[in-house]
Amino acid sequence: MTNSAIIALAAALAIAVSTIAPAIAQGLTAKSAMESIARQPDAAKDIRSTLIIALALMEALTIYGLLIAFMLISRI
Amino acid sequence: MGEPSKVLISLGGILDVTGEVVAMWILLAVVTAVCLIIKFTLKEKPGKFQNIIETGVEALDNFFMGLLGEKSRQYFTFLGSLFIFIIFSNYSGLIPGVGLTDYVKAPTASLSVTAGLGVLTFIFLQGAGLKKGVKHYFKRFISPIFIMLPLLVLDELIKPASLALRLFGNVFGEEMVTHQLYEIFPIGVPVVMMVLSLLFCSLQAMVYTMLVSIYLDEATETE
Repeated sequence: MTNSAIIALAAALAIAVSTIAPAIAQGLTAKSAMESIARQPDAAKDIRSTLIIALALMEALTIYGLLIAFMLISRI
Repeated sequence: MGEPSKVLISLGGILDVTGEVVAMWILLAVVTAVCLIIKFTLKEKPGKFQNIIETGVEALDNFFMGLLGEKSRQYFTFLGSLFIFIIFSNYSGLIPGVGLTDYVKAPTASLSVTAGLGVLTFIFLQGAGLKKGVKHYFKRFISPIFIMLPLLVLDELIKPASLALRLFGNVFGEEMVTHQLYEIFPIGVPVVMMVLSLLFCSLQAMVYTMLVSIYLDEATETE
């Protein structure tokens, strides 16, 4: 394999792996948030704002992966 | 990160005018014009236009009130401006043609702009913390035990960096996806992503200001 092929693979892996884990985490978070809203519709507003914050913090991990992928692609 | 912006007017390498700067000027002009119009036509009995603006401001006020409580009024000018700037910059990427030319680009899709916002937020947070009392400010860094000091200092520096990277990554990613779809098939297909962008753009502005207000709440909390 040439150097640029390895870099391309690394970039693909960086974004792919960093998407899998936060996706699972976000799914679990959304699941339990929805369950709590279904159980206690009065608390929906509080739950929604904390849910968005939690999702945003997890989203950041994917974004870091995306940035690394872009950095690697610019090296090719 | 990404591609360097094309310089339109060179001003000594530091203050170069790029597509993002032009977009911010347009944004500034529009927002200032709306503010001035509203200021000079303010009435007891609001018309249609004033009603729309009042609803928006009230929604923003309620949003920050829910996060910060009574002290949100004190910081409303900064947080509100931040929100308005970010949401309009995000949406400016959806105007047809923006981002495809070098002359006008969505400001928040550039790391320089979001890093600037991050630095601004950092200064604001430290300032707000210091204003509550110098002793109180330094006490926060050694609050549970003394060993936490390096971690808490690092945390303070990472906060704005992660805010900037998150905003940049999201908006830039959306722009890239829309662009790629446009390259694949220019008619109709990019609309799918643009509809999603309508949601994500406002969400990102909300997330940014929400996190800033939570950090602010941490920085200015009194026992």
